[in-house]
Amino acid sequence: MSNDDDNPLGFSQVSLMELDCLDPATRNALPYGIVGLSADGFVEVYNDTESRLAGLSQDSVIGTHYFSTTAQCMNNFMVAQHFEDEATLDLTIDYVLTLRMRPTPVRLRLLKGSGSPRDYILIQRL
Amino acid sequence: MTDITTDVEREHSELLQFLYACPVGLIQADMNGRMTMLNPVAMQLLHRLGNASASMNVFAALEGYAPELRNMITSFSGNNGQICQGHRIHVGRPASHGNSIPMVLACTLVKLGPVSLMATLEDVSEQVAQEQRLKQADAWFASFLNGADEYGVVAIDADGRIQALDPVARQQTGFEEGDLVGAHVQVLDNPDPGSASMNITEEIEVARRDGWHLTEGWCAKRGGSRYRCQRLICVRGKMEVAAQIVPGYTVILRPLSHVGMDADQLRRRLTTDLLTGAYNRAHFFDVAEEEIRRCAQRDNAVGLICIDIDHFKTVNDTHGHAVGDLVLKAVAEACMGVLRSSGTFARLGGEEFTALLPSSDPSTTIEIAERLRAAIAVISVRIGELDLRVTASLGFAVRMAATVSLAELMQHADRALYAAKRSGRDRVVDSDAIPAAA
Repeated sequence: MSNDDDNPLGFSQVSLMELDCLDPATRNALPYGIVGLSADGFVEVYNDTESRLAGLSQDSVIGTHYFSTTAQCMNNFMVAQHFEDEATLDLTIDYVLTLRMRPTPVRLRLLKGSGSPRDYILIQRL
Repeated sequence: MTDITTDVEREHSELLQFLYACPVGLIQADMNGRMTMLNPVAMQLLHRLGNASASMNVFAALEGYAPELRNMITSFSGNNGQICQGHRIHVGRPASHGNSIPMVLACTLVKLGPVSLMATLEDVSEQVAQEQRLKQADAWFASFLNGADEYGVVAIDADGRIQALDPVARQQTGFEEGDLVGAHVQVLDNPDPGSASMNITEEIEVARRDGWHLTEGWCAKRGGSRYRCQRLICVRGKMEVAAQIVPGYTVILRPLSHVGMDADQLRRRLTTDLLTGAYNRAHFFDVAEEEIRRCAQRDNAVGLICIDIDHFKTVNDTHGHAVGDLVLKAVAEACMGVLRSSGTFARLGGEEFTALLPSSDPSTTIEIAERLRAAIAVISVRIGELDLRVTASLGFAVRMAATVSLAELMQHADRALYAAKRSGRDRVVDSDAIPAAA
């Protein structure tokens, strides 16, 4: 795994446009979780890394409404509210996920832009 | 990718989903409070207590608001069983929302085994606020029935227009029915100019929502004068719950000169512990937060003393609760005798008392704490031939009000109290005299 700082596709570097263009193999090989949501909040992209680390199969997540079913632990003012309130967003926050009831400290990067059809949540386990 | 193939895995997954979606906060922790499992609601509630999630420790998260929890857990001797049920944690008003009601959580703790705890957390702020309103109504209704007070009744329709007045209301206000029927009831409202309290239209709105509203205000009299009265607005008749249709309201007016119990007495009933006369827990939190704010504005220090009667459980077990109550009363009386008006004294629950000393430095606080200890140590409760003596352990903390919250102050004082207990009881311990992470 290359140093995140040097990798243009690293957690802090990768852009919305690059995320939209990633081929599935590259996306699945990245060391952090990627969740891509449609404008109305349904999961369209869920990479292998996130599936493995969250312990949730892609089948059970893709097509669900992310904040109201799969990730209720992000359905609050610190995460979901940002996507609702802001037109564009590139925000990194420290957070604790409780997917599958397990408290897991993570760094989240929330991405939203007018040019992209999808909103993205990048999840790096600390 | 592993596929969920076996029934066991599917069951496991369903069970997780079920707990994850539970609308009550669920937490599993070890005996040191380290969280091993929790659901989103639990996380959300902990977030609102401050930066609790970072520590991943449920005790650290709650301790600032309910320091007694740790003692409850350490003093619980069994290997499993319920430690507390619906224990109320008064968090107070969130700093960011000035007008919201104070946040209260209900916490249930169950010891699952020697190394495992389950905690549930529920936001009961709304219920507590509602209870308080009901208590107020109870006290009012009780005082109503106690004396043969005269009260006037006015019927109004759903839009607030007066339909009828009874003879007492006519006598009180000097108006005849013909003067008022058809007019909006606000003609009877005569508040101070620029008063910040609700106007009668807003009161009706609250009554529509809650079923009733009670206030104290000025009622207009014929000829331009006015009289002070308590005013209760109740929804009249059956409320169509589904449609929220209110047919009208009954307004009861009660001149304050006729009220058997004055406002002070009423307030006392709502704010004090009935047994001991000390402030009750909920009121203490309101008053203490306000005191700390005041001290902070003047850049003053503030002292807090926690008092816990020694071996109180033994008193109850040996002599019965009636004797226990006598002891509680005697201790409260002794403390209030020492404090007089220099501090806010409250019973936090059980045999636990506290005193907040605004604008108090360490030397004054330790002096008062010592006097409290001494006053308790000379108490004797006569039971037949027996002379029952009690002692108490005290812990205190003094901090600059501008840099400390009530929760932190209580936490410091509670640690000191715990140290006083461990080092032999019947003594005062300064929180500065014990290691920070005791």
